[in-house]
Amino acid sequence: MKEFIAILKNEIIKTIKRPRSFIGFGIIAFICLMLQSAFYHDGKEILSFVTGQLENVFNVEGKVLNGNLICFIVLQTLIVQMPLLVALVTGDLVSGETANGTIRFLLTRPASRTKIVLAKWIAGLFYTLLLLIVLGFFALFVSHWIFGDGDLMALNSEGLTIISADDIVWRWGYAFLIAFLSLSVVATLANMLSCIMDNSITPIVSVMAIIIVFTIIGMFDLPSFDIIKPFLFTTHMISWKSLFEDPIPFHDIWFSIVVLIIHIVLFISISIFYFNRKDINS
Amino acid sequence: MKKLLSILLLFVSLQSLAGVDPKLLVRELNKKFSQVIDYKADLYMEFNLPGVKMKNLKGKVVFKKPNKFKIKAKGIFFLPKQNPMQNMSEMLIDTNSYTSIISGYETVEGKNCAIVNIIPLKAQDELILGKFWIDIKNPLVYKSQITTKNNGTIETKSVYGNFMKYALPEKIIVKVEINRVKVPKMMSVDLNKKSKPKTGIESKETGTIQLNFSNYTINGHLSDAEFID
Repeated sequence: MKEFIAILKNEIIKTIKRPRSFIGFGIIAFICLMLQSAFYHDGKEILSFVTGQLENVFNVEGKVLNGNLICFIVLQTLIVQMPLLVALVTGDLVSGETANGTIRFLLTRPASRTKIVLAKWIAGLFYTLLLLIVLGFFALFVSHWIFGDGDLMALNSEGLTIISADDIVWRWGYAFLIAFLSLSVVATLANMLSCIMDNSITPIVSVMAIIIVFTIIGMFDLPSFDIIKPFLFTTHMISWKSLFEDPIPFHDIWFSIVVLIIHIVLFISISIFYFNRKDINS
Repeated sequence: MKKLLSILLLFVSLQSLAGVDPKLLVRELNKKFSQVIDYKADLYMEFNLPGVKMKNLKGKVVFKKPNKFKIKAKGIFFLPKQNPMQNMSEMLIDTNSYTSIISGYETVEGKNCAIVNIIPLKAQDELILGKFWIDIKNPLVYKSQITTKNNGTIETKSVYGNFMKYALPEKIIVKVEINRVKVPKMMSVDLNKKSKPKTGIESKETGTIQLNFSNYTINGHLSDAEFID
């Protein structure tokens, strides 16, 4: 166990210290600040696109443009892009070392291959968690600091759901947990492809391609796509949004959680299986 | 002889109904409104709007003559642009600014009401037509339909309780016709939700806001500070 912790520690340091890891943090901070600045200056105009439908008849009372709404918008915008940032780092955790030849040195250690794959996978998850913490800080805390607190006007395709500010903190907590689970699927997929492929770039590009294709399939309401949609992990990656519905569809959320966990277990099992049988030639 | 007597009775009763003077009804109603200089009450709002899911809200309502009115509640809520509580008394108070005619009679909430139509004399008025169902025996507005230039038509139903002598309702149900609120799928990023098929012409749906008033404090000398945010 001590040995595993030593490898894990080493992997985490290696992952965090890479320059590309900071690209992810920088992009998240930049996008959050950019959106916050846009909403600070033109928020009412942007929102009138939705509230305008009501404002012909009603006066919308209360503070609609608040930290909770900005966090909701930032999160739903970034959840489509964040997998790409996760893949950028986790996609070459193994293949990068294979391409460089440093994997041979790593395998000379007494630890089993399974432990090495697991250590790399956990390091990838740790990086994913850090990304989410940075996102949470900018999207939730900075938005609250700039825009203040208030009821959330959650936007979903069936209309608007107004959630009281008193009833929202726990929803954010669980939303970030589900977001972590969703991004963990991406990190695990990237790790799996990284174990299979020897090239540093191919797994990253493959993960990005898979996510783009799956997301496009999810966007279209075509009967032939409807059959495959429930099996795509991207369909379940946005299940955090269901926490902001009334009533909350807990059954659907649990189903999505189970699907995501199955994906993680499947991908890590394939990673371990493949890496244990892999010929390290370089 | 019996036939003649019954025809006579019918004629007399019709005559008595036809004899209801709309101005007199409105004047009686205005007398009730005029007793109120200010009021404060607890408010419980129930929303049922197409495409909007929200919880009921508690708040407070304050009013001071001539036209200060405010609903104080925590959070986001929707109020009709035409405030039924304020508009009604404001609209009816100046009897020289409109023509009133009775267009019929109807029973509302078990009350025999005259349908009083209010037509403004000035063309530049915001009001186009106001229809008020006013109880003949005890003049109170039980139903109204107000059509304005900018905000369309709004329908209200009122229920009275302990404060009927001030014409202050216990409950007002505001009915509005609105288009269902829709958020584009690209904006809501609902990848796992299936869009509902469009039915061609988007018809308007009825939404209601129910305002329940309780614990009225009337003429308690409200300060202007109560109306500041």
